[in-house]
Amino acid sequence: MIGVAPALNGVIGALAQEGPAHAATAAGPAWAALIPALPLLGVVLCTLCAVFRVKNRLPAVLTVACLAGAFGLTVWMFLTTGHGTAVTTSLDWIRFHAAPGHEFVSSWGFFIDPLTCLWMLFVTGLATLIAIYAGEYMAGDAGAGYSRFFAAFNLFVFSMACLVMADSLVLLFLGWEGVGLCSYLLIGYFYKRPAAVAAAKKAFIMNRIGDVGLMMGITSTWVVFGTVEYAPIFDMISRGVDGAGNALPEWAGWVIPSLFTIGAFGKSAQLFLYVWLPDAMEGPTPVSALIHAATMVTAGVYLIARMYPMYVLDGTHWVLTLIAWSGAITALWSATIGMAQFDIKRIMAYSTVSQLGYMFAGLGVLTTTGAAFHVFTHAFFKATLFLCCGAVMHGFAGQLDLRRVSGLWSMRGWAVVTIAMLVGCLNLAGFPFTAGFFSKDMIIAECYVTPGMAPVGWVLLLTAGLTAYYTFRVFFRVFVGPAEFEPGDEAHAHGPAGDDHGHAAGAGTPSSVDSTDHSHGFHPHAPGLAINFVLGLLAVLSLAAAATYFVGGEHGWVGEMVHHSTAGVSGAALPGGGAVHADLETGAPGFLGYNPHAVMYYVSAAVGLIGILIAAFLHGPRGVGGLLIGSRRHAATSRADALLPVLGPVARGAQHKWYVDEVYDFLIIRPIWVIAHLFHLFDKLIVDGLVGLAGWLPRGMGGAIRPTQSGHLHGYAVGMAGGVAVLLLVVLLVAW
Amino acid sequence: MSIIEKVQYIWPEIAMFIATCVVMVLGLSPSLAIRRLCSPVCGAALVIAGLLAVMGPDTAPAALPHLMPYAKVIVAGVGLLLLLLLAGTVDREEESLIATGRARFNPLRTNRAEFYAFFLFSLTGVMLCASASDLIWLFLALELTSLPTYIMVTVSTRGRSHEAGVKYFFLGALGAATFLYGFAMLYGGTGTTDLSGIRQHFAEHGINSIAMLGLLLSVLGIGFKIAAVPMHFYTPDVYEGAAAPVSAFLAFVPKTAGFLAIMLIASLPGWGYGPVAGADGVIRDGLGAGASLPEALRLTLWVMAALTMTVGNVLALWQNSVKRILAYSSIAHSGYMLVGIIAGPVGERFIDNGLAAVLFYLLAYGVMNVGTFAVLACLEKSGGAALQSGARSTGLETGATTEIETVDDLRGLCRTHPAMGWTMVLCSLSLLGFPPLLGFMGKFPLFTAGIAAGEIPLVIVLGINSAIAAFYYLRLVAAPLLEDPSPASPPATPTPFPARPMAALLSAASVLILVGFAGVLMKQSAKAGETVVSPGHTAGRGASDGVAAWNP
Repeated sequence: MIGVAPALNGVIGALAQEGPAHAATAAGPAWAALIPALPLLGVVLCTLCAVFRVKNRLPAVLTVACLAGAFGLTVWMFLTTGHGTAVTTSLDWIRFHAAPGHEFVSSWGFFIDPLTCLWMLFVTGLATLIAIYAGEYMAGDAGAGYSRFFAAFNLFVFSMACLVMADSLVLLFLGWEGVGLCSYLLIGYFYKRPAAVAAAKKAFIMNRIGDVGLMMGITSTWVVFGTVEYAPIFDMISRGVDGAGNALPEWAGWVIPSLFTIGAFGKSAQLFLYVWLPDAMEGPTPVSALIHAATMVTAGVYLIARMYPMYVLDGTHWVLTLIAWSGAITALWSATIGMAQFDIKRIMAYSTVSQLGYMFAGLGVLTTTGAAFHVFTHAFFKATLFLCCGAVMHGFAGQLDLRRVSGLWSMRGWAVVTIAMLVGCLNLAGFPFTAGFFSKDMIIAECYVTPGMAPVGWVLLLTAGLTAYYTFRVFFRVFVGPAEFEPGDEAHAHGPAGDDHGHAAGAGTPSSVDSTDHSHGFHPHAPGLAINFVLGLLAVLSLAAAATYFVGGEHGWVGEMVHHSTAGVSGAALPGGGAVHADLETGAPGFLGYNPHAVMYYVSAAVGLIGILIAAFLHGPRGVGGLLIGSRRHAATSRADALLPVLGPVARGAQHKWYVDEVYDFLIIRPIWVIAHLFHLFDKLIVDGLVGLAGWLPRGMGGAIRPTQSGHLHGYAVGMAGGVAVLLLVVLLVAW
Repeated sequence: MSIIEKVQYIWPEIAMFIATCVVMVLGLSPSLAIRRLCSPVCGAALVIAGLLAVMGPDTAPAALPHLMPYAKVIVAGVGLLLLLLLAGTVDREEESLIATGRARFNPLRTNRAEFYAFFLFSLTGVMLCASASDLIWLFLALELTSLPTYIMVTVSTRGRSHEAGVKYFFLGALGAATFLYGFAMLYGGTGTTDLSGIRQHFAEHGINSIAMLGLLLSVLGIGFKIAAVPMHFYTPDVYEGAAAPVSAFLAFVPKTAGFLAIMLIASLPGWGYGPVAGADGVIRDGLGAGASLPEALRLTLWVMAALTMTVGNVLALWQNSVKRILAYSSIAHSGYMLVGIIAGPVGERFIDNGLAAVLFYLLAYGVMNVGTFAVLACLEKSGGAALQSGARSTGLETGATTEIETVDDLRGLCRTHPAMGWTMVLCSLSLLGFPPLLGFMGKFPLFTAGIAAGEIPLVIVLGINSAIAAFYYLRLVAAPLLEDPSPASPPATPTPFPARPMAALLSAASVLILVGFAGVLMKQSAKAGETVVSPGHTAGRGASDGVAAWNP
């Protein structure tokens, strides 16, 4: 079916051109295909490195070169496309007759609008930076593993580019599955560690649940619109017709969005599907930073933003309401878990789930701008936070327990990490005038503007306080205070005599910073130049992201971008005439009688500061580092310990992640296990038995008639004569 | 038709007969060089007979007007392969004794003249079956095919072959008696022994009970020639007792004669019957009402076919001796081909014509069957349990060699004797009907013709049996190809007759190469399978003179 003759293709293609003109879409630049092609080249090159057993940092250099090229092209694409929408087809991929007079078309083509550009800018940009970081971080694994890591890394960027730039749902699905595969490969990178393998499997399986929804959504789209390409779909939605030209069926407005939402929940770890993301931290930290914090997990947000015209088809918006509530609940739920964890990378993982909840809430309350802006800012500051945690892990032999490391600030060579961490924490906590502050405000404020969504706003506001607390809990425990540490149990690949960091080929950044302190027998191993460079740059970018709020239109640069894309929410796009998304002037509820947009800056700033102060009081060290209210003297203990008995089961529940994994185990895994054993028994006894019988029957028959071949002449003669007689008798009785 | 008119059709047989006489004389010469001319003369006779068959008249006034050239050519062709394979079967010890000077040539102790003469006689009998236009002629032709084989089996080896020969003779006589009785009843029921006369009688007066019984007994008796149930009992014992080249001969020559005879017998009533409600409301067979054999004959053949393939296959599962496996598989293949006879000429296309399928299958089976037996004939081992009985009865020294026998002896053959191993693999796969080998090309039209004739249950039985057959054929494939040589059994050594491996390689090559010429072969067999008998199918077909008159 796929290999239709080219000649036929040409004819069909010519016919297809005569279809309805896609308004407002221009032909895109052909070189856009190079953006996914460069990472694909990286995959090939890294595979070749693996084949030729390259032992140095060549794969990292190649990866950085390819990704930087892709980033450069993305910038160019952004500059040339502006706020327009362009579609470019590189390859006629799938094309067959699905029904009489109807074709299924999915080409290898790209849909370039500002939303695509926004996503691709931070995907390729962050991927380049994190590849530089990983070049040093993974240096201990130089060899086959190193090449494997970067091949999968490139493959991820390729898949992500396909996902984001696709011009049809089928190509999006390909990228969607591709990033899932890469996520699986990279979580399970340390495949000799059972926990990593289990986490990889968990991530893969949980994602499949969401993928079913996405697939069904794509199928439903095909059923309703008769195409899976964006441009015709959006054209039809704007005209309110389906593929046959009739009015859109009632159910299409909620069935398709709900199905897409299931897919988005899986990929973006929302609601009951979040459990895979914290476990995914078993992968190398650069992977956690890029895939499980900055880019891949935002694919769900992207999907909903991309298909937003479908979400606003239904006048009651109940799917969006559902998304808003799911987001808020997820945000609060995972924030409470994050408060009680001790593993700093896990805390960051739960905070990622929590922040994704904010984004979904933003989508649900009709502020795609807020959601996209939060995705954008979060990508930078969360990558920073993860990479800082990675630096700690790297330097302390895998130590991630905040009770065992303290006072990094006062150790040599950790200044950049500490500053970058502080910047990231301020962003995450929503400290005034940071990028995270503005993006979070936009979402919370919008909750109070949208009718019926005020409770969501309160939940999110509470979560903002919790977020500030658990973020600075990490900072106060690990980065300030008395300098103490225990190395982790992980035999960190240090290289012979620890000299491999001195003259690195990877990323082209020889590092000279290394601790000479041997007093503990183990010396913490401060990050090299590459890591420091990336952390510094990311910290600056996290802060600079705030500036985008002030350039461009009403909602900043991101708002401008989103407004000109399919995610743009305008009154005209809403069937209800925009009355639903009311402003304060039309009598919609506000924030305690004030204009939410105006007061939210102060309210959320106050909430964030309170959270930080509580963290300082409970976990801060004595002196300036603890904002003068802290009292911690040791790494392992803090004032918070006294609270544990008071909180009792609540604290225990949060520490045990509210026993969600155990509940899943009991409700899903156990029953399935039992059913599987029953089926196994059925298979063993009945199916195998039948197969065995089928095999045994001819042999048994042979055994039964074998005595007729006695070898005796008279026996044979009697057999022949008797056989003739019996046969004649049978024929006489039956057919004469 | 007088015998003078008939001569134009039987020039191949006449040539073969002349060669037979020459061979009989040559084989008794005291000079080894002249004695050795026997087989070249046989070869030349087969080539000449084949050429004469091709050049002879294309159409004969018979139910199957184009049958003769095709049948005679495939008999001559496979006969050449068999001739290569039969090299050295008789007089091996005798000749070696003479060569070393320990004995002198004694015409009473040599078997060479008789053996090659009987070989030619038997093939002449098959050709005469194809030419038969009379029941007596047909009987004589069938017996001319069989009688020499009894002797050939007996003289082929020392020891077990004597018992096999005696069994074969007595049971063969019982089979011959059965179909002779049938022929007699046909004569009694119709008053003529002329095949076209009987056809005409059936068409004009219907089939009376005596004639029908005659038909059934004829078919059942001829079942002995094709080793069909219930006449199959002798097959494994005789094949096992005879030398491998003679077994290959038995698996092809009498079978071909039998199928030609069954085709002729079945064409007497023809494939034009179907159920018709008589005046009294009873459903009876009526000519022209359908496209099958008369119900009684169809049912007989149906039961024979189903039982034959099933019995052959399930018994083959139990065997460890390759020869016995091949013997049972030979039974099963007869069952497959009976499906084609039952289906009959449904349509003009090759895949709709069951008779064409049978004719094509005979050629395919002949070729691939020679290949498998040739592997056994090409390799021998010294000592071994199989020899003991033979050594006891003949008092020969234990240094004598014996053919390889069991599946274990085939193990690792692809490494130790690559040519033989691969011949075994290819021919076994072909016998199994593995695409795209010749056996698949042969089996496929049997299925399509059966389906076209509406014999769906029988086709299902055929399919199930093909699956069962895979079990033992794949053993014959796996043992040479995948397993290691058995350390227990003594290593096999090639026999000192270069013609035998040549036969093996030619068969294996044919299994592959003939696939490329399958189109031509199918066209020829489709032509040979054309029939003018059944009125339902002959309308509009260019019937030969004198033939159309049979159709009322």
